Amino acid sequence: MRALVIVPAWNEERDLPAVLAELRRVAPEWDVCVVDDGSSDRTAAVAREGGARVLRLPMNLGIGGAVQTGYLWARERGYEIAAQIDGDGQHDPQYLEAALGPIRAGTADLVIGSRYIGAGGFRSTALRRTGARYLSWFLRLRCGARVTDPTSGFRVAGPRAIELFAASYPSDYPEPEAIALAARGGLRVEEFPVVMRERRHGSSSIGPVRTVYYLIKVSLALLLLPAERRHKPEIAG
Amino acid sequence: MTHPLLPLELQIAACAMLIVFFGWVLYLVRFQRLSLRDSLLWLLSTGAVLVFALFPGLLQSLARALAVQVPSNALFALGIVYLTLNVLSLTIALANASTHTRRLAQECALLRVEIAEVRSEVRSRDGAAS
Repeated sequence: MRALVIVPAWNEERDLPAVLAELRRVAPEWDVCVVDDGSSDRTAAVAREGGARVLRLPMNLGIGGAVQTGYLWARERGYEIAAQIDGDGQHDPQYLEAALGPIRAGTADLVIGSRYIGAGGFRSTALRRTGARYLSWFLRLRCGARVTDPTSGFRVAGPRAIELFAASYPSDYPEPEAIALAARGGLRVEEFPVVMRERRHGSSSIGPVRTVYYLIKVSLALLLLPAERRHKPEIAG
Repeated sequence: MTHPLLPLELQIAACAMLIVFFGWVLYLVRFQRLSLRDSLLWLLSTGAVLVFALFPGLLQSLARALAVQVPSNALFALGIVYLTLNVLSLTIALANASTHTRRLAQECALLRVEIAEVRSEVRSRDGAAS
């Protein structure tokens, strides 16, 4: 099966080389594609030096738009598997193989790396853990998806999920909403245990104060899920 | 047709302004700075306000029907509805435009890679030929 790793990156020139080197070492049979989300630093050059295919967006679209670019690429090039991992080194690519199991076996369409099943690793602040528990409860209530770590950006998508996400992907704070879209589209969502690392540089894009804003925004987005699959302008390719 | 609600001078000024505005919107459509679809709400709502300016009695009966004590308050309420509708339609147009921009940016990223690939292919073919 042809497999692609999508690495959305916005000004990640410091952490990206290590992430790409680790991917080459641990998951050599995966193609790697870095989506440079309008960075102002050397992200694209660093990614190219690291042997990745670089999709350079002409402007900053935010994480949702960047990740979707990766899925569009996966669809365009006929990949059957597309994983997404963060460009800041939080996600350990050694878990990619394990995540593939359910997709290869045909029992899942979308597999999410959860830091809350299994033991150890970086689990973020108490407030955000509570937020994650609330969101997972809300997701189950809203669309029946059973996910313990709805904000995790570590995911592996099978052919049906690639198709869905290439056609429609939420824009800001997209992770929980993407799960809801998948569950609503009849995709089977599963989880696999991962240990996440603390990011080496910089801080999370969502500070403690904004966590509450995040939760309200995401709750609203989940409540107002599009009535049908969103109609995005499709450009034949 | 002077009316106690609206002195003639004011009525003329209001109508003149509305007609100029109406004409401006039509001009924008004619010279393709504004699509007819986007201007439709402006034309319709401006036309409606023009009707009220020409026949202030309508406004008075409307105010009575809605049990508004002072007819001018009905006017203000209508004005707010008019602006709200137009702003909402503007927001919708903007949302559409940003969806398109996002999709186009993504397409650009994909095409950049395609071009780079074609280029290197051509280069290697040229290299093999020479």
